[in-house]
Amino acid sequence: GDRVIDVGSEWRTFSNDKATKDPSRVGDTQNPLLSDGDLSTMIGKGTGAASFDEFGNSKYQNRRTMSSSDRAMVNAFKEITNMADRINLPRNIVDRTNNLFKQVYEQKSLKGRSNDAIASACLYIACRQEGVPRTFKEICAVSRISKKEIGRCFKLILKALETSVDLITTGDFMSRFCSNLGLPKQVQMAATHIARKAVELDLVPGRSPISVAAAAIYMASQASAEKRTQKEIGDIAGVADVTIRQSYRLIYPRAPDLFPADFKFDTPVDKLPQL
Amino acid sequence: PLTPMTPMTPVTPASESSGIVPQLQNIVSTVNLACKLDLKNIALHARNAEYNPKRFAAVIMRIREPRTTALIFSSGKMVCTGAKSEEQSRLAARKYARVVQKLGFPAKFLDFKIQNMVGSCDVRFPIRLEGYEPELFPGLIYRMVKPRIVLLIFVSGKVVLTGAKERSEIYEAFENIYPILKGFKKAS
Repeated sequence: GDRVIDVGSEWRTFSNDKATKDPSRVGDTQNPLLSDGDLSTMIGKGTGAASFDEFGNSKYQNRRTMSSSDRAMVNAFKEITNMADRINLPRNIVDRTNNLFKQVYEQKSLKGRSNDAIASACLYIACRQEGVPRTFKEICAVSRISKKEIGRCFKLILKALETSVDLITTGDFMSRFCSNLGLPKQVQMAATHIARKAVELDLVPGRSPISVAAAAIYMASQASAEKRTQKEIGDIAGVADVTIRQSYRLIYPRAPDLFPADFKFDTPVDKLPQL
Repeated sequence: PLTPMTPMTPVTPASESSGIVPQLQNIVSTVNLACKLDLKNIALHARNAEYNPKRFAAVIMRIREPRTTALIFSSGKMVCTGAKSEEQSRLAARKYARVVQKLGFPAKFLDFKIQNMVGSCDVRFPIRLEGYEPELFPGLIYRMVKPRIVLLIFVSGKVVLTGAKERSEIYEAFENIYPILKGFKKAS
């Protein structure tokens, strides 16, 4: 049959004594998609007595930089993985981000911009492309770059790679915000329904989908047994509580039409808070 | 002999006039007073003047009629903002120059030039925007090539036009965008 060379890392031998180091004879996993081959080697730290010179310093202390041409790119990948880790993003998003970064980096049209800014913007785009968008504020929270700069890089990257992204919808954020608030599935589904209907009926023109989603969650939670304050929702969604109030005032008049038909009201519609 | 009356510009049915005239909201102009100025002196003696050299290297002066703000630099150059028409901007700049003159400086009035004009109007129908980032800016930023004007278009139907050096550029840009916007009217 066909023999395929496995370019993964070497299989480990699980012997009883863990004291022995696990010598890998074939080097780290190859990342041909990204680091352009990565066939360079480094001088490892010496083990025997001969590797130390008279003062106790190790000879050959210089581990030569590997693949210096893409050093910045490798650094960026590390930073991307770090950022993604902080918000528990799955590997597929990280891979997509790395790919985007590589494309942008090779194109060189954004060379002047900070790599971290480009990496953050790539992360934002990757989340969007995978259908699970994160708000700019959420990306800001795990990056040192300001929202303004991430937004700028985002627009530049879309132009450079000649791609576009879908508009964000209220539903994209429902499951994340609701589970962060500890709301049961019923409330989440109600909030999703409310937000969708509000947008369909064009009750909230010009409002950011995040604000509308937050207001919908507020309405749904206030009608259920699991009430949440505007401040709590604002904290999770990254919107000010006055913003929630604004959007809530717009959807409040049509509240009875927005709830799903099968919703069980803990607090009836006419007792909903009026702000 | 028949002399057919041909119109100078071809009139296409789609380009009927919108009937809406953008209103000018802000004019930014510059003028050179052509003499070195002692800003501390001006700030001390003039009414409605503020001067924080650590924050900004110019005197900020305001007058009530026309309601405008001027930035006056020690080089003698001045920026005048806030006027609602070209004439008002020129008049205001002259008033500032007279204030400076009255304080004892040999101020002249050279190279008055309008640098930027901002206009706004309402098309009176909601617009279906595509390709705008609600998280970044609630409106669409449209950079028109000819004339070179930037338009900020909002869902409510309000439009802001800026970047013009002449009033006609604002009007022309709006006439250009109006038919396009009509095509994107939101179906209610």
